[in-house]
Amino acid sequence: MSTDTNRRGSDSSRSAASAPASASGSASSSATTTVFGVPANLLATAASLVLIGTFLAVVYDITNVVGRRDQFVLLAAGTLALATVVGWTLRPRYALGLAVLIAGGGFAAYFLALPESQVALLSPERLLADTFALLSGLSALRLLSADVWALAVTPGPVFLAWYLAVRGRIAPAVAVAGSGLGLFVLTTDATGTLTLLGVGAGMAAVGFDGIDRFGSAGGQLDVLTVVLAAMVVLSATVTVLPGAGGSPVIPDEGVAEQPTVEASLVSADDRISIVGSISLSPQVRFEVQSTSPDYWQTATFDRYTGDGWVRTGDTRDYEGGRLAGPEGPSRLVRQTVTPATPLDSMPAAWRPVAVSGAIENETLVTQQGNLRPDRAVEIGETYNVTSAVPQYTAASLRRTGTDYPDEIRERYLALPDSTSDRVRDRAAEITGDAETPYDKAVAVEEWLEANKEYSLRVSRPDGDIAESFLFEMDAGYCTYYASTMVVLLRSEGVPARFVTGYTTGERVDGDRYVVRGLDSHAWVEVYFEDTGWVRFDPTPAGPRQDAESTTLSDARNEGRPDVDTNETNVESNETEQPTTTANDTETPTENGTETNSTPVDSSAPGPNIDERLGITPTGDGATADDEDDGLVPEMPSRETVFVGLVGLLGVVAGVRRTRLPAHLRFATAAYQRRTDSPADDVFRAYDRLELALERDYRPRRPGETVRAYLDSLSRVGVDERTRQVGRLYERAKYGDGVTRADADEAVAAANAVVRARLPLVRRWAD
Amino acid sequence: MTDAHADADFDPALSVEAVSDLATRISENVERVIVGHHDAIEDIIVALFARGHLLLEDVPGVGKTMLARAIATSIEGEFERIQFTPDLLPSDVTGVNVFNQQTSEFEFREGPVFGNVVLGDEINRAPPKTQAALLEVMEELQVTVDGVTRRVPDPFTVIATQNDVEPDRTYDLPLAELDRFMKKIHLGYPNEAEETELLGRVSGHHPIESLEPVASASDVRDARERILDVTVSEPVRRYVSRLAADTRARADLGVSPRGSIALVRAAQARAALDARDYVVPDDVQREVRSVWAHRVRTTDERSGRDVVERALDTVPVE
Repeated sequence: MSTDTNRRGSDSSRSAASAPASASGSASSSATTTVFGVPANLLATAASLVLIGTFLAVVYDITNVVGRRDQFVLLAAGTLALATVVGWTLRPRYALGLAVLIAGGGFAAYFLALPESQVALLSPERLLADTFALLSGLSALRLLSADVWALAVTPGPVFLAWYLAVRGRIAPAVAVAGSGLGLFVLTTDATGTLTLLGVGAGMAAVGFDGIDRFGSAGGQLDVLTVVLAAMVVLSATVTVLPGAGGSPVIPDEGVAEQPTVEASLVSADDRISIVGSISLSPQVRFEVQSTSPDYWQTATFDRYTGDGWVRTGDTRDYEGGRLAGPEGPSRLVRQTVTPATPLDSMPAAWRPVAVSGAIENETLVTQQGNLRPDRAVEIGETYNVTSAVPQYTAASLRRTGTDYPDEIRERYLALPDSTSDRVRDRAAEITGDAETPYDKAVAVEEWLEANKEYSLRVSRPDGDIAESFLFEMDAGYCTYYASTMVVLLRSEGVPARFVTGYTTGERVDGDRYVVRGLDSHAWVEVYFEDTGWVRFDPTPAGPRQDAESTTLSDARNEGRPDVDTNETNVESNETEQPTTTANDTETPTENGTETNSTPVDSSAPGPNIDERLGITPTGDGATADDEDDGLVPEMPSRETVFVGLVGLLGVVAGVRRTRLPAHLRFATAAYQRRTDSPADDVFRAYDRLELALERDYRPRRPGETVRAYLDSLSRVGVDERTRQVGRLYERAKYGDGVTRADADEAVAAANAVVRARLPLVRRWAD
Repeated sequence: MTDAHADADFDPALSVEAVSDLATRISENVERVIVGHHDAIEDIIVALFARGHLLLEDVPGVGKTMLARAIATSIEGEFERIQFTPDLLPSDVTGVNVFNQQTSEFEFREGPVFGNVVLGDEINRAPPKTQAALLEVMEELQVTVDGVTRRVPDPFTVIATQNDVEPDRTYDLPLAELDRFMKKIHLGYPNEAEETELLGRVSGHHPIESLEPVASASDVRDARERILDVTVSEPVRRYVSRLAADTRARADLGVSPRGSIALVRAAQARAALDARDYVVPDDVQREVRSVWAHRVRTTDERSGRDVVERALDTVPVE
C-alpha cells in the first residue's frame, strides 16, 4: 500500500470519526491562540480597557480640576459595569441604540446645566464654531461648566467601546475609544504620556486581535512588538529632541532650553503651565507713556489646575465705546503703548475701558476684562488705552462684605478636588485671627514674602504647585508666589485670581516707562465687594529687582543692542519701583520685606536671559536643574532606561523577524562530517534537510511525523530524493538500521538540497 | 494469545509484503460488496490481524451486517450474528447443553458466538449480564458451560455495533468493557456517488451471494503471527507512553496500559499492511484515534477524541 493512500485514508477517517463527536453535542473546542500563555483575545480586551482607561484618565484630570470628580468616578464605573452586563446579554443593534441614547442624554444634560445667559447665545453656528475651537486646541478646561461637559462626554464612548470590547469586536472598540482619546489630544488635555499609552494600547489591542483571529504563526507577535517599540521609541526621542517639550503630541512652539519668565507668563495663551528654572530677558518690549505708573496687566486666569492656570470663557470683539469699569470708585489713567518688539498681548493698567489706535478693530476682550490683540501688535504700532484704576484704601477694603455674586463665587473660589487638607489647614493657620478678606489677603501676602525666598532656579515640583511651594520648596519666583497666594485665599473663601503682565519698568523722561522682558511678572488680584479686583503682589520686591538689575547689567556688559533705548539710563541698573500709584501706599507689600530676603544669585547660567513675561508652557523636570547633582555621575533617567529597554525589545523582535539566527544556523548546515555510525549520519543529514525545508516552507510541528511533514511539503515541491532521506531516517530510527551506502545517499541528498540554498557555498562546492 | 501461537501452523517464511498483499486482497474483495468505507474496511482488517475486536457505533441500515459478512466470507470463515435484545439471555450467546432424547445424553448446542467473525448487533440493547457473556468470550477466547470449556475458533473477531439513535432504551457499556474493544469506529452514510453506485449493485442479485473467499482462515492466522514480529523501536514505544501520559493529564480517566498495548498492536498491524517491518510514528498516529478515543472519559463537554487530538498536537514526535 502506497504512502499516499495511507495519508488519504488517514484524512478521511479523521473526518468520519469526528462526526459522532459533534453528533453527541460535544463540539470540539476551537483552539485559542495564546501569547506567552495568555489567550490573545483576553490580551486584546485588556488592551482595549487600557485605551478606555487613558480616555477616562484624561476626563478624571479634568474633573479633578473643575469639580465633580467623585461623580465622574461613579459614572465611569457604572458605565463600565453596564457595558459589561449589556455586552453579555444584548445584541449589537439594541446596544448601539442604547449607546446613542446614553450619549444624547449626556449632551442634553450638559445643555440643561448651562447657565441661561449662555443658552441664550447658543446657535448652530456658535456650536459649530465652538466645536471647531475645541478640535483645534481649545482646552476643555476652558469650557464653561466644564464639569458637566466632562460628565456628559464620558458615558457614550466608554459604554460603546467597552460593550464592543466585551463582545470581542476589538477593532470597532478601539476606533470608538481612540476617537474619544483623540478628541482630548486635539483639545490638548491629553498629556503626551497618556496619549502614547492610549495609542500603544490601541495598537496592541488590534494586534492581539489579529493574532487571535489569524494565529500567531509567521511571527506576527514579532511584528507587533516591533511596531509598538518603534512607536514608543520614536515618540520618546522626538519629544526629547526639540527641547524638553512636555506634550509632544501638540508641540508648543519649541522653547529653547530654559524658558524665560516672560515666555512662561505673558504670551497670549489661554493657559499657563508652571515650569522649573527660568531666566530673565533684558530685551526692551515696549515703552508706555502713562499719566500714572502702574503694573501693566496682560492676562488674567481663573481656573487653577494644580500645575498651571487656565483662562475660561470666550473672548468677544471690542466694538468701540467704553467698557465696564470697576464696581467701585476709579480714576482714569491714559496710556500710550509703543511696542519695541512685536507683542501678542496688550499690556494695560487694570481696568482697561477703552482702546484706540490701529489695533482697535482687532482687539478682543476676555471675560475677565483684559484686552488682547487678535494679531501681533507690530513694532512702533502705537495704541492708546484708557484704564479705570480702582480707588480704595485699606479701611474701605476692610469694610466690604463677603456677599459675593454667584458668578464670582463659582469662578474664583474653585479649587481642584485634589487640594489637600494640609493646604487648607495651613491657609487657616496663616490667616489666623484675620477677620476681613482684606486682612486675610495681607496676612497671606506677608507670610509668603517672609517665609519663601526668591529664586529663578527651581525644580518644578511633581504634584500640586501651591502645595509643593507651601510645604516642600524654600524658594520660587513670582508664578509660585502668586499661585500659592490664590490657592490659600480661595481655600479661605476669598475670591482671588492669577494675573500676569509687566511691572512698571524703567522710568525715563517724566511719564514714560521702558518695559523689558525682565519686568514680566505674575501677581494676584483679590475681589472685594463694591470695589472690584484689587492687586496684591506676594513676591518679595527687593530680591526680584536685584535679579532684574543684575540681568540687565550683564546684558549691557555683553553689549546687547536691544536692552536700551536712547533714553534709558545706561549707568543705572535700577528699574522703576512700582510704588508710586496711589493705591500702592495702601498695600504694605511693595517695600515691606525687602530686607528679609537674600538676593538671588542670578549669575547662574541663564544665557538666555530673555523675555520675562511669557506664558509658554514647557517641559518639567526633563532637564535637571538641581545644582547638587553636579558631582554625582549622571545616571540615565528612568524614562531613558525604559525607552532603551523598549527599543532593545524591538530590535530583538526585529532580528527574530529577519530570521537572522536561522540564517546563521543554516550556514552551519552546509557541511557534514561523516561519522562511524551510518545511523548518526542519516540523522544529521535529515536534520540539515529539515533546516533547509524550515527555511523555505515551514518548520515541522511538534506532533508532526517526519513522514507527514515531507508528504505535506511534497505537494509544494519537495522532490523524491528528499523524501528518500526521510525514509532512510525512519528506517534508521525505527527500523532495522541503515547501511553505509544508505548513509552516503542521505548525506549526498542533504548536501545537494542545502547547498542549493547557499549560493556562495554552492560555488565553492561545485 | 500464546496458545494461539502454539495452535497455528506457523509459517516463518511469510513476509510483511505477503501480509500487506493479503490485506489488500481481502479489502478489495470486500469492496466488491461494500461501496465506500475503505477506511472502515482497513480498520476491521487491522483489528482482525491484531487479534482485536471492533465496536461500530452507527445508525441502523448503513451496511454493518453486510460488511461483517463480507469479511467473514472473504477469509472463508464462519459468520455468526447475534441480535441483542433486552430479553436475550447469556446462554443465547454462548450456547446451552440440551438433552438429546435419542442418545439420552446432554449435548452442547453451540451458541452464535462460535464463529470466525461474529457480529453482535446493537449490543447496548441487552442487559449487562448478557453483554458480559460476550465480552468474556472476547477476552478469554473460550466458552465455559456447565464446567466444560470450549475454545472458539481461530481467528475470532467480534464486530459489535452500538445504536445511539434511541439512547433511552439502551444499556451503555461500562468503560471497563469498552476497553476490551481494540477499536471503535464509525461508518456514516455513503455520499451521493457511493449511494448511487450501491443502489446499482443491489438492484439485481445481491453481490454478497456470489462473493468468493480470497484467503483462508489459516492465512489470517499466519498474518497474525507475522505481525507479532513487526519491530516496535524504543522511540515509538516512548512516543506511545508519552501520548498516554498526556491523555491522563488532560482527562479524568486517561488511557490505561491495556489501551497502550492495544495501540502498539494496532500500529504493528498497520505497519504490516503498509508492507513495513517496523512501526513508525505515523502508524501510531493513524491508529490512535480509533483505538483510544473510546477509552478516555472527561467530565466536561470535551470528548475523548478532543483529548486524543490534543495529545497528538502537543506530544512531540521523536
